[in-house]
This record gives sequence, C-alpha cells and structure tokens, in this order.
Amino acid sequence: MSASFEALEPGDELEPVTIDLSSDFVREHAIAMDMNADRFTNDERAKQEGLPGQITPGNMSLGLLSRTLLAWLPGSRLQRIGTTFRGLARAGVPAKVQAMITEKDDDTRQVECDVWMENEGGDRLVVGTATLHFPSA
Amino acid sequence: MSFEDIDKSVIGEVYDRYTYQEIKADDLIAYARTLGIEDPIYLDEEAAKAGPHSGLVAFPTYVVKLRGGQWMPPEVMKHMTRDGFDAGKDIELGVPLCAGDQVTATSTITEIYEKTGRSGSMWFVVFRQEIRNQAGELIANVDSRLMQRAAKKESA
Repeated sequence: MSASFEALEPGDELEPVTIDLSSDFVREHAIAMDMNADRFTNDERAKQEGLPGQITPGNMSLGLLSRTLLAWLPGSRLQRIGTTFRGLARAGVPAKVQAMITEKDDDTRQVECDVWMENEGGDRLVVGTATLHFPSA
Repeated sequence: MSFEDIDKSVIGEVYDRYTYQEIKADDLIAYARTLGIEDPIYLDEEAAKAGPHSGLVAFPTYVVKLRGGQWMPPEVMKHMTRDGFDAGKDIELGVPLCAGDQVTATSTITEIYEKTGRSGSMWFVVFRQEIRNQAGELIANVDSRLMQRAAKKESA
C-alpha cells in the first residue's frame, strides 16, 4: 500500500485501512497518553456518563490517521495535520482510515492529503487534511 | 452562565509556561508501541541510530501529550463542564522531538467563539501549546479546539 513521491498524483487514494479499535488497544493508548478518564478506559463507566460505551480519544484518532499516512507514504515527513472530531469512535468497533492526495508540488516535494476515519456505516467520524514532505533522494 | 459571561480578555495572553523534565526514550517508545507504530525509528534506540535522525525520535503526534502544567486558565476553566469534548486539533511540526530533549510548552488562548447548530448553542475555545526544545527550536504548535454546550438560559 506504499507509494513513492515520484509515483504520486493528485487523486491517488489509499486503499481503506481497517483498524481494530479493540477495548484494550484504546485503553492502553489512553493510559500511555495520561488520558485516564473513564470514557476512554471503561465501557460500563462510559455508559454511566451517558455515552454509548468506551470511546477512542480524539488524540488517538489523530495518531492513527498520522500512522496510516506515514505507512502509506514511507520516507515522507509529516509537516502539518489538522483534524475535526465529528463523531464518537467507539472502542470495540472497527474503523476504516482512508486518504487521498489532493495536491502535489514537485518544487517543494510536498503533497497535500485529505484523510478521514469512518465507521462501518460510512459515517465520517474524523476528517482532516495533512501536508507531507519528501526529502530529496 | 452564558457565552457572554466568559472573560475574553484571556485571548492572546500566555497563561502557562511549563518545562518538562528530560523526555525519556521509554515514554516515546510506550507512546509509539501503544499506537501500533512499526517503524523502528520510534521504537528501537539501536536501530534508530541508523535512521534519518541518528537516534530515537518521537512519533509526530506524541506532542499532543505535552499539555503543559495548567490545562486552561481559570477564567475559562470555571465555565467548562464534563459534557464538553475535544472538537479537533491542528498540529504544525518543526524539528523532531528527540529522546533526551528538555522541552517547554507555552500555552495561549487563541480564540473563543460561539456557534449555533442543530443541537443548540455551543461555544468553542481554541488554545495553542507552542513546544520548543532546549535550543529554542520549534518542535510543534498544537492548536486544540474544545467544544462546550452553552448553558440553557433560565426563563423568568
């Protein structure tokens, strides 16, 4: 699923990457982030807060979008990423990350991407844009 | 309390400057490992020596963990409730954060604004953590957007 700078063109899309947001995965990362709130670590207590269950921290979704972009575009460096958290990414429910190249600048060796996370129903839970730079060979 | 009650004079003021103890490689590795990162430049100190930074560096989004010593100024904090949520983040990245760096996060409120949506009125506070290393180099600007539902006005 990886691509080099020379081969990239605007409109290129990443094949959807499914991410297993298991309860343990979300809990362990939340704790590593010092985000120990019940909503991120405990399904029952999250429900007591009025949520549908344990949810993924926005900061973790941001990290997962970045992880996916950098795996797709190896050798690149993330220069900027902006995200909007639009919906709840439930723990225990798989999510898909997708991305598309929207601009490419051969002079600066940068690409602009749209990137988003959606649930099984196709709802976009996190949407964002990113700039990645490819060092000269 | 309503949106009008929030003290907007905090906008643009530095409300926190916090210098962290030396960033430990173990903490960078734990962050990367629990995010499912596989690239050894974020996971393995020995392998990272042969990488582009000649040592272990933080996965770029690690910077969101550096929230400073005071999360929010009290003038704003007192209006926040548990039903608020993180509405988004924008990160501009500079030099990589390396194991052993001593970083300082400087926090500023950049915007406070109100919006009305389908579910009613809400307000947003945007705050920036400017994160620099011991040489003063910019590691990242992290802009966080928090949303709070506006309190319902009591009827007379």
